[in-house]
Amino acid sequence: MEFTEKHVLGLKDLLYRMSDDLLILGHRNSEWTGLGPILEEDIAFSSMAQDKIGQSLALYQILQELGENEPDVVAFMRNAEAFHSCKMVELPIGEYDFSLVRHFYFDHQSAIRMDMLKDTVVEPLQMVARKFRGEIKYHTMHADTWMKILGAGSAKGKERMQKAILENAGLALGMFELSDYEVELSESGIFAGEQALKSTWIETVSQKLESFGFNVPDWDTVTPVYGGRKGEHTADLQPLLDEMTEVFRIDPAAEW
Amino acid sequence: MYGNTYIENSEKQNKLTANEDPKKLAEFEARIAAGDKIEPHDWMPAEYRKQLVRMIEQHAHSEIIGSLPEGTWITRAPGFRRKLALMAKVQDEVGHAQLLYSAAETLGKSREDMLNDLIKGNSKYSNVFNYPALTWADSAVIAWLIDAGAIVNQLANSKGSYGPYVRALERICAEESFHLKYGHDNVVFLATGTPKQREMVQEALTRWWPPIMHFFGPSDKLSVHTEVLMRWKVKMGSNDDMRQTFLDMYVPKIWDLGLTLPDPNLKKNEETGKWDYTEPDWDEFKRVINGDGPCNKERLAVRRMAEEKGRWVRQAILKKDSQYVAPLS
Amino acid sequence: MKIKSLDPRITRAKIDENTQEGVLNPMDHFQTYEVFEQKKRGTHHCHVGSVHAPSAEMAIIFAKEQYTRRGQCVNLWVVKTSDVMVTEYLDSDIFETTETKSYRDPNSYKVMDRIKAFKERQTEL
Repeated sequence: MEFTEKHVLGLKDLLYRMSDDLLILGHRNSEWTGLGPILEEDIAFSSMAQDKIGQSLALYQILQELGENEPDVVAFMRNAEAFHSCKMVELPIGEYDFSLVRHFYFDHQSAIRMDMLKDTVVEPLQMVARKFRGEIKYHTMHADTWMKILGAGSAKGKERMQKAILENAGLALGMFELSDYEVELSESGIFAGEQALKSTWIETVSQKLESFGFNVPDWDTVTPVYGGRKGEHTADLQPLLDEMTEVFRIDPAAEW
Repeated sequence: MYGNTYIENSEKQNKLTANEDPKKLAEFEARIAAGDKIEPHDWMPAEYRKQLVRMIEQHAHSEIIGSLPEGTWITRAPGFRRKLALMAKVQDEVGHAQLLYSAAETLGKSREDMLNDLIKGNSKYSNVFNYPALTWADSAVIAWLIDAGAIVNQLANSKGSYGPYVRALERICAEESFHLKYGHDNVVFLATGTPKQREMVQEALTRWWPPIMHFFGPSDKLSVHTEVLMRWKVKMGSNDDMRQTFLDMYVPKIWDLGLTLPDPNLKKNEETGKWDYTEPDWDEFKRVINGDGPCNKERLAVRRMAEEKGRWVRQAILKKDSQYVAPLS
Repeated sequence: MKIKSLDPRITRAKIDENTQEGVLNPMDHFQTYEVFEQKKRGTHHCHVGSVHAPSAEMAIIFAKEQYTRRGQCVNLWVVKTSDVMVTEYLDSDIFETTETKSYRDPNSYKVMDRIKAFKERQTEL
């Protein structure tokens, strides 16, 4: 079908929410590099942060084909209000319980979203979704292995994880804030929509959490933390962006 | 990233092998002389084991602490290309630490004991990492020249006599060549860039030159100790030789970019074929390596924090029936 | 005093400059697993090193990034180091073969001379 202006806006919004999420979370997770709980995990976590940033780059490249600015400009030169990322990804890394639960919530979302996009009518997006399938599969394996072992571990450790699972449920649901273009996206075969994504995600993570021995959040009563997709962010995002661009701003005309 | 082992010549030299079985010692030395490798459960002189543990452990510490000065710029690396490459590089340093600790473990010291000696200040690491990476350009200079120095040393050590160390170094050297290329690329962009960028990289180079000259350590004393370690292929080249190799390979490349080095005496002596330079300040080197450098305190505190933050995670998943044995090789 | 670092990550971590924390106990970094990688189908798995890990499952997760993040790999094995039985180098003389075992060597079977002589005898008849 012929894309109208609204279809393109919807596609751009979809691409921005995906790429901004990946960029910001990749940045956050990169902060663990050299500081992880054990050398081996440090290496694994750093790889996944690199993967996320690499994936965001691929998505910004599609945006560039749609007429947006080049990736380095888009990623490093916008203010917080222009970011479509959800609030969960912008929070500081905190302790490892938070970082792991965020990783578990986010990466399952990413895996399901990419899976839904493997047959999208937007060919370059279809290619990206297929290209990164292996990377994302490892990310969810990594997250599941950690959640499983902590679920079966000491009472103290399990309690910390359980707390993080429940406390961050609302932030996680914020990932699925509806777009203004849900109808256009689904009718055109671009993307089946946030609602469908959310249902599959809830089913997946609930089943996993339960099998790992954790209490599952009561999703119906959890209040989603929205706003991020519409450019409203926590106080943590702008400082992160300022930090990201500190070197760039020394000499904006330069090639780094 | 590692310069050269810092050996204190404190032993009474005739005591190095005094208590060893002469027959076994002769066999051991013959094996090394024949170019054969020593493996973990082989008989080895106590001094060989001690010096190897010390050296590999220092090397591992240097990797893990070496990830910090460059890590300073991880969240601020400009643009996708630099960001991804810097993350991959710092990740490699952590990976190298993992490989090296494992190699040292085969000699009978646990990773926990080595890390404890690091954070308690009982064990050394490359002195250069006690200096700060003040600007983005510092991280570029480190990635290029410190890694270049490390490669000179590591290539030499990869021909050493201890199997597990040699195997770890083979993998490490392959990865370091990416670091060197990345670092060079980064410096070239700055040096051929805007006036501001050139200024940044020149300043960083000027700052890092004294630590770089310190990197390979002071001239070795011609002691029996050094001679024995060379014969055992623990130490693979004199500190001065390594420094000369480094200068030979990299000073021309630095000058090629129109950058200057803060040593008026630095030049290749046509007669000797060697580089003349102003003797580095070895008092400063000793002061810093013994704890009184600009970043020593921070580096160790950060390492302590990393271990402490990870404690609950590790304890939560440690299985009670776990049994430690040293890795195989 | 909290460390005010050039590294914003470190400043955010609010570390006490004089912290005495972080000292490790034995087993804090778990036991070790030996790692074997298969570079492509049809080839043998080869030993590439070891990882510290709390379980075999986690050892696989760790080994994947530590040992295959650049290279080609299609399959990984991990096995607890403590489960590996090894020979002693001291006993490596057991691997020496002697000339008396030439019957195992294909080159020690040289029948052509015999066949040739046989054929010559046949024609003489």
